[in-house]
Amino acid sequence: MPESIPAPLIIDTLKDTFREARGGNTREPLGWILSVPDTHQKTVLAALDKERALRVVTCATEDEANAVGAGLWIGGEPCVLMIQHAGLFASVNTLRGIAMDGRVPMFYLIGLLSREKDRDPKDSRHSMVRFAEPLLDTFGVPHARLEGPDDVHLIPEYYRLSRERRGPAAVLVGLETI
Amino acid sequence: MAIKPEDVLRAIASARGNAICVPTMTTSPAWRTIAPDDLSIGCVGFMGGASSLGLGLALAMPKRRVVVFDGDGSLLMQLGSLATIAGAAPRNLTHLIFKNGVYHTSGAQEIPGGLTVDFVQMAKGAGYRKAYAVTDFDDFKQRLSSMLGDEGPLLVELHTGLADKTPMTDRGGQPFHQQVETLRNKLDKAG
Repeated sequence: MPESIPAPLIIDTLKDTFREARGGNTREPLGWILSVPDTHQKTVLAALDKERALRVVTCATEDEANAVGAGLWIGGEPCVLMIQHAGLFASVNTLRGIAMDGRVPMFYLIGLLSREKDRDPKDSRHSMVRFAEPLLDTFGVPHARLEGPDDVHLIPEYYRLSRERRGPAAVLVGLETI
Repeated sequence: MAIKPEDVLRAIASARGNAICVPTMTTSPAWRTIAPDDLSIGCVGFMGGASSLGLGLALAMPKRRVVVFDGDGSLLMQLGSLATIAGAAPRNLTHLIFKNGVYHTSGAQEIPGGLTVDFVQMAKGAGYRKAYAVTDFDDFKQRLSSMLGDEGPLLVELHTGLADKTPMTDRGGQPFHQQVETLRNKLDKAG
């Protein structure tokens, strides 16, 4: 059965991911969070408000977040996009244009809002939950799902993967964070 | 008489110093000729993204000026970026709108609202530090130094005519992924 992940664990993992991306350099901000606020990850967003080592840029749309991320990458700055499945659906052309055709490494944390605890997402009653992973498959975007605290190692793994393949990679947040 | 976009681009090329420039749509062909080997990246393949791409560059490189050559139709596609830019408040971002009132590349259909759309008021309302319109080239030349040096985010609505070329009549230039690599390497070397 999937479990919710505490926000501090995700934030500490993001910090470690950014430290590694900077080769151990601990300059601040360690990295950038490009957020289109996701209710599913609201405890993480609340904790980020108090976090000084990470800088959050709240974007009006996921299209913007992708383009801001491209500019940060060109300028040598690490970033993570925190969005919701609905935002993934809304921004696939930009994902294609920037992360795929533009070969810009882009790492996404995607909240599966309304995912039922007792069901695999492919069997969800909600189309937004059901279609998120198949959409990533259609675009050839490698992805994994966080199903509990033991899975947070997937965050640095898929972040690294986005850099290695020079393209998009995503980790989906299975249950609402706590 | 409306300002010629090519005159604006030539003046910027002479005055920009080490600024990064982000052309899009109808400024792209002319800029390739005017500034062929420099610190630029065209917004190609995701129309409307120039302002956000410029924001990311400005945040990553706070000691360097970033100048976005946006279009009115392009900006309308991601109008929320005005608020996103104002919220992030990059002091080094200059956002130029080449306002011609039409979608030039697809045959000059009028943009929603046409020339009555007021991007200056929108930018002020979003929270840009400064925003104003420029309607003739002499005024543009007089203000250019402050456009490239004043604290941003700064938006200037340039009332221009149509460019001589569009990305459809003058295809070419590097694909976006090559531009990404080229600019990233140049900035990395420049430190």
